[in-house]
Amino acid sequence: MKFLVVAIEFRRALARPRLLALNVMVPVMLVLAVSLGGAPKFHAAAVYTVLFILFGTFGSSIPLVRDAEAGLFGRIIRGGIPPSHLLMQRAVGGGVIDGLQLLPALTIATLGSVSLNEWIMAVLILWSSVWIANLLGNLVAALARSLAETALFSAVTALLLLHLSGVFRTPLPDSSWALVEALSPFQALHDMFLGVSSVGTRGEPLLGLFIWMLVLPALTVCLARPIASSLGTAADA
Amino acid sequence: MSRAKINETVAMKSGLVSLIKASGFNYRYPSGPPVLIDIDLEVSEGEIVALLGPNGAGKSTLLRALLNELKPDSGAITGSLISVRPSGVLIGYAGEESAHFNSLTGAQNAHFFARAAGVEKDEASGLVFGLMSLVGLSDEADKVVSSYSFGAKRKLLLLEALVHQPKLLLLDEPTVGLDPASRDALADILRKRSQEGSAVVMASHDLNFLEQLADRILVIDRGRIVSSGSQSELLDALGTATRFQVSVDTDYKELPRYFGEDVELVDDSGPLVFETSRGQAALPEIWSALISARVKILGVEVREPGLAELFRRVTGKELPG
Repeated sequence: MKFLVVAIEFRRALARPRLLALNVMVPVMLVLAVSLGGAPKFHAAAVYTVLFILFGTFGSSIPLVRDAEAGLFGRIIRGGIPPSHLLMQRAVGGGVIDGLQLLPALTIATLGSVSLNEWIMAVLILWSSVWIANLLGNLVAALARSLAETALFSAVTALLLLHLSGVFRTPLPDSSWALVEALSPFQALHDMFLGVSSVGTRGEPLLGLFIWMLVLPALTVCLARPIASSLGTAADA
Repeated sequence: MSRAKINETVAMKSGLVSLIKASGFNYRYPSGPPVLIDIDLEVSEGEIVALLGPNGAGKSTLLRALLNELKPDSGAITGSLISVRPSGVLIGYAGEESAHFNSLTGAQNAHFFARAAGVEKDEASGLVFGLMSLVGLSDEADKVVSSYSFGAKRKLLLLEALVHQPKLLLLDEPTVGLDPASRDALADILRKRSQEGSAVVMASHDLNFLEQLADRILVIDRGRIVSSGSQSELLDALGTATRFQVSVDTDYKELPRYFGEDVELVDDSGPLVFETSRGQAALPEIWSALISARVKILGVEVREPGLAELFRRVTGKELPG
């Protein structure tokens, strides 16, 4: 299997140094503002999680719809890349690029609070979560008919999953919500920031992450043709 | 010539292999009128087929149908190329949209599409730079596409359709945006590819380009193939007569049917239409006869036999541009 799309995503990212710098600097500025601003640690963890996940979801869905509207998405598929490969490779490339761009912000958020091993674990959780966010962005893009709809659907979907992951709630370990949170994709990232923030972790946060790392790629592959068709229709509209 | 439905069942060139075939293909966009009606078309190795028609006739949709992208209401697209997935490996398509990776260079774009279609990495660079030289893009190979002119983007689009040496090329308005030198270079490339066995189906309003290249011409109007055949067959059917369309003041007495030697008034329902085999030499004779008949002449249009006149007679419409 050739990773042409992953490679081209890297080239596109590197070809726009100003955007690359902004994508690094904006999260850094936000994380600095929160960490230096004396925000309560629980709130800080929520802000970081929301920031990183929206970064991944928007960063995937909006360029995808823009490419589809320009006709590039259809051209790539006509050119010989199967839809499932295109969507998966975009998500892989986007996830890695997003992860690299968020690395400085993550490092600032975890500075002085974690060991090297814990930091490596934090990086892996970040990459996995952002990859899921990218896959989510692909699926959401198929439902949208414009950039505005894409932004709206991305925000609604990501925020709903963040809510289900317990990001906006005080932990309720003995309630049925605990199970929902354990099965949700972004609890691991949130718990990582909570752990960093010395509030402590809850349950088995990696379970949801693993489930979604299996389910979303499978869903993307199964739905690749309808997604491509939907994006093609958007381009024709 | 009356408008007639002519099913396209032209036989394959002797000994050549059929690449793609549309059989009874009917297609409409959701909740829209029919776009393609009873399309029967077979394209064989080495053929250059031209689609000629007004805007909205269904030419671009037919090209997309040949890409097997459209789900027909009835009929099917079949052929040896269609069973191969992904289709981009054997089919090269240059549509109307010139979408590229705008932040990357032309060479990077072309290299990507070559590799996507299965060209090996080592081979891709040679093919890309060879074609860039042929279409006159060498100087811009390492410039980002966002800095390209419209014509350069069109050249790059054509190059990307050609670079993997597909068995079938589907080109939508391939000469739009091209300067005369690039247009000639494209004609040479297509002719060479055809000689090597690739088939080309192209939709265009560039009649000179079509006359220069096409083995077979399909005239399409309102989704139907209304006339088809080789250029010589179509022009033979059309005849060699020159037509003059004379716009006149309607206040005149009845005119004779024949105006001197071999000049016939074939239509007086609107502008007067004269037909003659003597070419433009007959014009002064018509002119003086009309003046003698006290007809006030408002304007004259000369229509020599050719694809434009063929199209006009078959469809009753003017070709754009």
